[in-house]
Amino acid sequence: MHLVEHAPRSWRVTRLQAALAVVLAVAGFLAVTQIRNELLIRQQLRLPSQRLEELGFMLREMERNRGAMEAQIEQIRGQLHAYEQGAAQGRVQLEALGRQLEVFRAQAGHIPMAGPGVIVGLDDSPFPLRPGDDPNTVILHYTDLQGVLNELWASGAEAVAVNGERMITTTGLNCVGTTILCNAKRIAPPYRIVAIGDTDQMARYLARADGVVAGLRAFGFPVKVTRAGRLTVPAYRGSYRFTHAAPAAPER
Amino acid sequence: MWLPVTGLILGIILGFLFSVEIPLGVVKYTAIAILAAVDTILGGLRAQLEERFDLSIFLTGFFANTLFAALLTAIGDLLGVDIYLGAVIAFSIRIFSNVGFIRRDLLERYWQGLRATVTSKQ
Repeated sequence: MHLVEHAPRSWRVTRLQAALAVVLAVAGFLAVTQIRNELLIRQQLRLPSQRLEELGFMLREMERNRGAMEAQIEQIRGQLHAYEQGAAQGRVQLEALGRQLEVFRAQAGHIPMAGPGVIVGLDDSPFPLRPGDDPNTVILHYTDLQGVLNELWASGAEAVAVNGERMITTTGLNCVGTTILCNAKRIAPPYRIVAIGDTDQMARYLARADGVVAGLRAFGFPVKVTRAGRLTVPAYRGSYRFTHAAPAAPER
Repeated sequence: MWLPVTGLILGIILGFLFSVEIPLGVVKYTAIAILAAVDTILGGLRAQLEERFDLSIFLTGFFANTLFAALLTAIGDLLGVDIYLGAVIAFSIRIFSNVGFIRRDLLERYWQGLRATVTSKQ
């Protein structure tokens, strides 16, 4: 009787304990697995799993942003390419313009020039004035200088300077007492005209029997024409000022 | 008492032996399920101390609570509401209160035992 009563009770307890054991085993297994996974996540990502979702959202957002930015980069790169092409074209144009400018500057007399040519030396007449003589007959006039210069231009001079003053488009010669005004500067005798151009042609033209040089020599002025293999003509040192004249529209 | 302890140890050993990789998205669910399981186990312990332990209630409670906690978390994810936070709070409160009751029950037993020995001595 005792055994009969006792046996089911101990069996019941054992069953209860077995159930508890199963539950605890499941719980323990789950807990250990979870802890191991969490540790793994922390080890790999260095942050707790709670923040993963938030970070995932941020990641997606950032990826979308990145896509947009990549498109922008592509667009900007295209623009840059266009600009670079434009700049390259601009550089080419700039170079051409620079060359053109150089030519214009040379033509305007803004840069020193070098080359073969002739030197014409002129001076007042060395003959002493006798009483009653006109002093104009022994003084070299600006018209004489102008005549020589005209003959030089006519015989192919390309760059001319008188006593270091470059002859440019607006250069005029004027008489100021015993000196000559050139480029708003006084120049005094002896005059030294340096002309770059066809040496033979200029020399021959100056040496004509009915030329200005021959005329000056006939009046007793010492004129010396020398050829030179290499001469330098300085640049015009003044400035251009247009107060009244303005570039007109090109005629068609 | 040795059988449940053995079960727990066995579970822990199994957990260490088989490294089951929980996918990142499911980690939250298993965490809440474990919380539910711990709560149920503590509840069972308390019931046993108060001598109203029922195996069927314990077993169904264990599995149902565990699954429901995971399900609730999943629903919360679907809705975009952190329901699992509510579950965490609820389970935590229950765990604390269960631990409190267990402590009180144990103390009561201790006092009773002490009184019994005192009266028997008298």
